[in-house]
Formats: sequence, C-alpha cells, structure tokens
Amino acid sequence: MPKCTIDGKEVEFKPGENLVSVAKRAGIEIPVFCYHPGLSVVAQCRMCYVEVEKMPKLQTACSTQAAEGMVVKTQSEAVKKGRAGTMEFLLLNHPLDCPICDKSGECDLQDNSFGHGSEFMRHSEERRTYVDVDMGPVIQKNMNRCIHCTRCIRFGDEVAGIHEMVAIKRGNNIDITTIDGKQLKTEYAGNYSDICPTGSLTLKDFRFKKRAWMLKKTPTVCEGCSKGCNMEVQHEGNVVYRCVPRENLEINKYWMCDEGRFNYQYVQDPSRIVDPMKKAGDSWLVARWEELLSGLRTDAAGASVLFLVGTDLTNEEMKAIQDAARALSPKIQIQSFGTPGVETSGQDGPRDQILKMKSKTANLKGAESLGISPLLGSAKSDVVVVFRGGRAELPRIEAKKAYGVGVFLEKERNFFHAILPGLSFLEKDGTVINHQGVPQGMKRALLPRGRCKSTGEMLMLMLNQRNNEVTA
Amino acid sequence: MSANPQTLFVQHFWKDSNRTLDYYLKEMNGYEAARKVLGSMAPDQVVEEVKKANIRGRGGAGFPMGMKWSFIPKNSEKPKYLVCNADESEPGTCKDRQIIRYTPHLLIEGLLIGSFAIGCKHAYVYIRGEYVREAQLLEEAIEEARAKGYLGKDIFGSGFDLEITVHRGAGAYICGEETGLLNSLEGKRGEPRVKPPFPAVSGAFSCPTAVNNVESIANVPHIIRLGGEVFAKLGRIDKSGGTRLISLSGHVNRPGVYEVAAGSMTLRQIIDDLGGGVWKGKKLKAVIPGGSSSPVLTADEIDAVYDVEPLMKIGTMMGSAAIMVIDEDTDLVKLLLRITKFYAHESCGQCTPCREGCHWMESLLHKVIHGEAKPADIDLLVDVAGNIGGKTLCALGDAAAMPVQSFVKKFRSEFDAYVKGQSRHA
Amino acid sequence: MKERLLSEKFYEAMRQKEPRYPDRKALILPSLHQAQAEFGWLPKEILAEIAEYIGVHEAQIREVASFYTMYNLKPVGKMHLKLCTNVACCLRGANELMEFAEKKLGVKCGETTPDGAFTLSEEECLGACTTAPVMMANDDYIENLDINSMNDFIEKVKHER
Repeated sequence: MPKCTIDGKEVEFKPGENLVSVAKRAGIEIPVFCYHPGLSVVAQCRMCYVEVEKMPKLQTACSTQAAEGMVVKTQSEAVKKGRAGTMEFLLLNHPLDCPICDKSGECDLQDNSFGHGSEFMRHSEERRTYVDVDMGPVIQKNMNRCIHCTRCIRFGDEVAGIHEMVAIKRGNNIDITTIDGKQLKTEYAGNYSDICPTGSLTLKDFRFKKRAWMLKKTPTVCEGCSKGCNMEVQHEGNVVYRCVPRENLEINKYWMCDEGRFNYQYVQDPSRIVDPMKKAGDSWLVARWEELLSGLRTDAAGASVLFLVGTDLTNEEMKAIQDAARALSPKIQIQSFGTPGVETSGQDGPRDQILKMKSKTANLKGAESLGISPLLGSAKSDVVVVFRGGRAELPRIEAKKAYGVGVFLEKERNFFHAILPGLSFLEKDGTVINHQGVPQGMKRALLPRGRCKSTGEMLMLMLNQRNNEVTA
Repeated sequence: MSANPQTLFVQHFWKDSNRTLDYYLKEMNGYEAARKVLGSMAPDQVVEEVKKANIRGRGGAGFPMGMKWSFIPKNSEKPKYLVCNADESEPGTCKDRQIIRYTPHLLIEGLLIGSFAIGCKHAYVYIRGEYVREAQLLEEAIEEARAKGYLGKDIFGSGFDLEITVHRGAGAYICGEETGLLNSLEGKRGEPRVKPPFPAVSGAFSCPTAVNNVESIANVPHIIRLGGEVFAKLGRIDKSGGTRLISLSGHVNRPGVYEVAAGSMTLRQIIDDLGGGVWKGKKLKAVIPGGSSSPVLTADEIDAVYDVEPLMKIGTMMGSAAIMVIDEDTDLVKLLLRITKFYAHESCGQCTPCREGCHWMESLLHKVIHGEAKPADIDLLVDVAGNIGGKTLCALGDAAAMPVQSFVKKFRSEFDAYVKGQSRHA
Repeated sequence: MKERLLSEKFYEAMRQKEPRYPDRKALILPSLHQAQAEFGWLPKEILAEIAEYIGVHEAQIREVASFYTMYNLKPVGKMHLKLCTNVACCLRGANELMEFAEKKLGVKCGETTPDGAFTLSEEECLGACTTAPVMMANDDYIENLDINSMNDFIEKVKHER
C-alpha cells in the first residue's frame, strides 16, 4: 500500500482516499462541515484546511487525495489561522442561540468553534436573518443557524433521490430551503437532521425534549424491515427520545428511513398492554401471571393447537418457542407470520431505491433458518397462541381460544382471550438475520415496562410451573 | 503609435460592415488559415504551432494556450469540447466585445482551427447575457460561415465537421470562471467546481474540454497565418507572444480599446501616448492595471512594462489587460467600497470565506465611510481580506481580497482620515 | 392536461436548440431567456412549465433562475433601465446619473414607475467600460451617457408610448 506522512506519522492509504479519511485512521481528526463520507465532495466550507508540502496554498483535505510520499501538516500556524478564519466567518451570521438549540452538545459548529475558533468576536455588524418555512412533520427549519454546507441538498439529490432542498439566490443571500414552503416529501427526512452540522434542521419529534448530552446511547438494529439498518437508541430514564442511524457500509451506510426512525414510539405508547390481562365478557381484567400461564399450558396440550411466531422476534425467542412447543405436545403446529404478501424471503425485495424492504419485520430469514413455515391465509385452530414482537401484522384468527404473547396495543387485544405482555425490541437482547443473511445483534436499551416478561421467562415458567413460584 | 508598429485587430474595429464575411474574406484573408490547417496539418502540428506562438490566455490567468490544448487527452472515447469564454465580466474589460462586434469571423475561424486541433465537433461560445446584440451578431456570422460551408459537415472537403452554438449567460460574474461557466452551460447555477478534475479531463458535460477566452481564440488564425515563431516575436518580452488588446478606461482623455505588441510599452506610455493622459489636466493618483481585481498601483509605479511578468514583479497583475485610470480627486475609499460591493454581489455563495467575508468587508467599508469605524477596523479589514485571499474554492476570493489589501496598503492615510473624521471626501 | 402558458414559438425555438446540447438540462438557460422574452418576467407558473418541459424538478429551475440577475422573478416596467455603477462608470459619473434618473423618473433605484413604464436598476459592470458610463435599455446598450443624453432618452421613450 502507498504511504503518506501526516503530522510526522507515516500512514498507509488506499488509492483515491482523501486526506480526511487517511488522517482519521492515523488518529488525527481534521475538522469538517460540508464533507460527509456518504456524499459528494464539494470543498465549500473551507474548514478542513491542511498544509501540503510543495503546495503554496492551504488545501482542503476533503478534496485532496492522498499521494505517495505526500507530506501533510494539519497543525501548522497557517492551518490554524485558516481554520480560525473560517470559524469566524461562519459565526458572523450564526445566532449563537445554543442555549435554546436542540443541536447543542452534538453540534459540529460548537465543537469546531471550541476546537479551532477564537474566543473573541471581532464582528459587530447586524446578523443576516431569514423567515422560515414549515417543512412538514419531520423537520424543523431554522435558516438563521445554517452555515450553507449544502449537505442537505446533496443528501436529497444523491441519497434520497429527490431535489427538494434547494439553494435559492446566491452569495450572502443564499437561502437553503424547499421552494414556496413545500413540505418535504422524502420518507428519509430524518437524515436531514442527522447530517446537518448545526441546528438548522432538527427533528420536530425531538424538539425541546432533551439535551443531547443527557442521552444514553445504545447501539442496536432497527426492526422496521428486513434491511436491518444499524441504529442507535438514545434514551434516558427508561424513555426513548430518538433513534439515529449508525454507520454500516454493508447495510445502511449512514442512513435510515423515517418509518424505522420513529418506529420506537409504540414501545412507549400509553395504550401498550404491560400487564397480563384476560377477557371477561366485554371487558378486560388485569390477571395474575400464574393464572394465564397455567391456562395456556393446559390449552396448549389440547387437540388442535397452533403457535404463530412473528417474524419480528429474535432467533433466540423463536428457538425457545420451538423447544417449548416440543416439550408441551408434539401435536403443536408452528407457523410464522409477519408481512402479508411477503411470507417467504423469496417474496422479499427492495421497496424503494434506497433502504426499505418489502418485509416489514426484521427476522423473516431467521424464521426460515429455523425451519418455521409461513402461515398462509387465516389462523384456524382450536387454540391459537400468537407470539409477537410488535411489528408483525396480526392475521385473521379463527379459534376457540386465542392467546397473545408479546407486545400488543389495546386496540389489538380484541382478537384474543388473554394477553401475556412481552418485551419489545428495545427491551431485549437477541439476534436477527437480515435479508442478506447477515446476523446482527439487538441490544437491550430499556428495562421492561410494567409487568412485562421476556418470552423465554414466560415459556420457562409455563413449562416448570409450580403455582406459588409465579408471582410478579 | 510609434511603439506600436503592428496590430492584428484594432484596424478593423471601426466600421459595422467590417463584421461581414465578405470583408473578412477580402480584407483579412479570411478562412485561409483554417483551409491550410484542415487541408495540410495534423492536429498535433496545430498545437505545436500555438505552443511556439508563446500565446498566453487572454482571459486573465495568462495560462499558456498551447499547453492548455495539449492537456486534452487524445485517446478519450468521449466527445471533446472547445468552449469559448465570452463572459467578459472582469470590471474594466471590454475588448472581447469589440472582437465579436467587428471581427466575429476571426473568432469563428479560430474556433474552427482550435476544434480541429483538439478533436472537437461541437464548440460552444458562452457569451455574457447582457451582450444581447453581440450574441445576435455572432449568430449571424455563424450562419454566414455555415452558408459558405466553413461550418457544418465536411469542411473544405477535409471530412472534419464542426457546429458552433452560442450559449447566453444570464448575469453572473462568476460564470467567467471556467468551471462556473461550464456549470452554467450545462444549465446549472454558475458555481465553480472543485478542481481536480480539471476541465481538460472532465469539463463540459463531463467530457474533456478546453476553455479559452475570445481574444485567445481569435488570435489562432493569426498564429497559423504568420507562423508560431513570427507571432511569438510580435511580443517584445519573453513568454508573451503576439499583441495585447487593452481596455483603457476611467479618467483618461481618450478611453478605448487599444492594441499593443505584448510588452512593448510601459503603463505610463499607454496612459499618456494612447489614452492622451489624465483627463481635465488633472494629476494621476492611481491605476488599476488589470481589471478591478488586480492590486492597485500608485502614480509613481507606472513605469513598469505592461505585461505579465513585469507587473507580477511589482506585486500586481495584468489580468484581462483592463487599465482603469484614477485621477487625484477620486475618493479611493468609496471606490474600494464599490469594488468590494461588486465582489460581494457576485460571490456565488458556495464557500465560506467568500460568501461571508466579502459581505463583511463591504460592511466594514460602509462603517469607515459613514464615520462609524474605529482605527482598528482598518486592520481588521486587511486581516479579513487575508482570511479570504488564497483560501477560497475559486479565484473570486482572491479577486475580492487583492483590491482591499492593496488599496489600504498604498493609500492608508485616506482610510485613516475617514476614521478620524478628517477625510476631505466625507 | 394543463393549459400551456408558453407559446408554440417558445416550444419551436426549444426544439431547434435541443439537438445542440448532449444534455437536455442545458436548455434551462435558453428556455428562461426565451420565456422572459415572451412574458417580460418569469412567474412561478412559467418556471413550472419549463421544468416540466425539460424534465427536471421545479425546484431546480427555481435554483437556477434565482442565481442569475438577468432573470426577472418579479414584473418589471416596459422599459428596464439598468445603469452600470461599477468602477469605470462610477469614475465617469454614474452615481450622478443614477441620482438624476431617480429624480427624473420619480422612483428609487430598484423600483418601477407606478404606470409600469420604467424600471430603474443598478447594474454591475456591463463590459463596455471604455464607453462609460453605460446603461442597458432593455436589450440595448446606451454608451457614453451624460445627463443630457439620459434625459433625452427617457423623454424619447415617454413620447413613443
């Protein structure tokens, strides 16, 4: 591999690699605003100046490809002055309203100002201001904070495939906006907020809810479809505040869709059933675990029993269900359910040009790998037990007795005679296999809500039930 | 015009009818150079001849033209384009307009020869939007040439085809920058591109492209007719062949477009001998020697020979050869504000230092003129210019910074006088 | 189908130009010029029609149109006077001419007279510096201007109406 020297360190690089990326591998962080590894290089913000030997002017590291024998300095006086100059220019018209800005604490402008700017302001002229347009339900715009990096425009063009964020006018008057206040159309709008290096585009869903630095971050996998986008759940006090994509170049690159991003909301929906419940006539009563589990055990040993396994469950859960069924009665049938019309991975495929897959559950491949065949049509049996993670679409159930095990909202409970509340994807660890066959780990971010139990615990208690041990 | 024995252009710049094909054929030996090239020369030979001619680009950067053409890859499967930059937007410059108005066929013949040399089948002339009439004249001339078979298919029976399209800009200085121009040609905002890739590799429509100024291209028939070496010797100075068209404006008695053998006259001679000296019998205060972006000169710096290297030596530049003469009564602070306002207005807004900095410099100069500035603001102004110059994506940042730096450096007392409330112009 | 606002002449002109470019998007500037020649300015509906014709997102046309100063995104007067006030013109009295024109027309720079006859604008360098001061009167240059010739020109336009 060819080598270059950055701040005295010899670093190997792949031909075509730019200096930002080469330096990063050597542990040298070059500050950037407009550069994003997932977007085209425009070299507009002029923050990533470096000094390259034999070149008279400062070079922008984002647009400079490493070359054999190249000698680069990232900390010279000229570089420092250049970066400080850029920081000063960027703050001329920035409102510095960090105390009321949602980006504060995770803001590139803040970080780079602290790292490379001056503590004094030499500017006393009036700031440029804009009137903002409403851009729809996902993104809150604040043009005054914008530093014209054009990441959003390029994201629209190059990733989302829609030219909806535009630069109107020119020079000092440029407005980065949608035309005539049109609402954003893309189903990937949340990414606009992720890539914005300032608080110019923030998530409405997250607005004024939490300061960024108070959030705990748990890396996990989105359960929204069979793509398996890597994401990070950001939460505090057992409440999720938002989900953001995590880089995985083989799967989702740097992005995720809005459906996946906001999917977490059902987890903390007030109508989610978090107590064991049973139907009594037209109403529902909170039940004791032992009562429901022993009822289930008795019913499952009966003549015609169908276990329906959501393809939104993890491999571990599915395997536990298979094992439990075998232990209870050899007659129990097991079938999977998830997305109507996408019963097998052969029927799965891209739903758009970007990330979304047709299967709206995360683990269709996992169910197949465990040999679980799909349910076709409605679920007909004397007893039907539905195991569900939260996203699998409930089939029509024709049964004398139906149990729901897992995550259900109140509006979904009328299919059932009893609900045994389980854990959502954010409350458990486990493995899912995406459409490419890549197994990925889901990580527990939250503690169980109410009296919810894991599938494994429920099954274990049911199999080994001695009444007085089942409490909670 | 004793120091100026041979001119190639200006003798034709006086009568509307000189623009006809008829005149060009009869009086200027029109299209004979192209006939010779297409009939008996190989493309490489043409490039060699242009290299020998030592002709620097006439647009402002002064890059050797033959070298530019030699960068166009020969074995590319993509189409190649020759694009003529007729944006003529650097304040002070208006020579290309004269070429288009009076000798459009020189430009067309030059495009024909240049296209042959680099293997282009469709050349574009990007002309500034305000030149509505000039664009019409050029299109008429193209039609005349096409009617005679000098454009179109199988020109001169050589098998070489060429079309020329006139593409109008729409009011943006930055489209004079070659990559901004190419974006504008492609129907985009005229924002300069990141280089590399350079246009020779990926230019118009992502194909190899040479972008040349009008005057540069219009010189090509002269180069072929005279031969590269003779053309080179027209220049009196190393590395500069041919003649230069000079736009002389401002406070002179006879403003106009003049032509001098490259490096044959000093700035003083041009102002006095060609321009008839400073108007109204006034004294000279300053000279902007190469378009409004070039660093200003004081009255006692004008004995330099007017060409690329001698001007570089005294810290300024020849640019597009647009000389603006400034008399003793001029308020240079206000003039600098006007220049700075222009660059702020024309900044495309892509890159930070130019978008923010040009506007800031304009605001600071406003403060100076309105008596709201502190003495330190003058230093701040110069420092801001330093944070723009050399740090932007294209040369507009330099163009905006250089006047500020040079005006303050050379005429500091005028700025200080404003700050102290003692300016005689306030 | 929506009713077309642009004339057949517009579409014919574009059809002529289309083969001259390897990419249809290159028609954006010519089409904006042509449309403005027909309408005097470029209303949003026209920009949308051009976008549809060329096959790009409407936003892209708006981005481009707003970048260039010659595209009028607001209506202008019948006679649009664009007076250059850049260096060479300002050295030869453009600022005084601007003051005169403002007084003569009774509008400020950037405004249109109430009867819609004149719009007065400040223009950056027009590239005719050796014949400064210069202004553009619609598509024509008027060079070597002074207060008398500007006065005469405005009077002449007024009488021609």
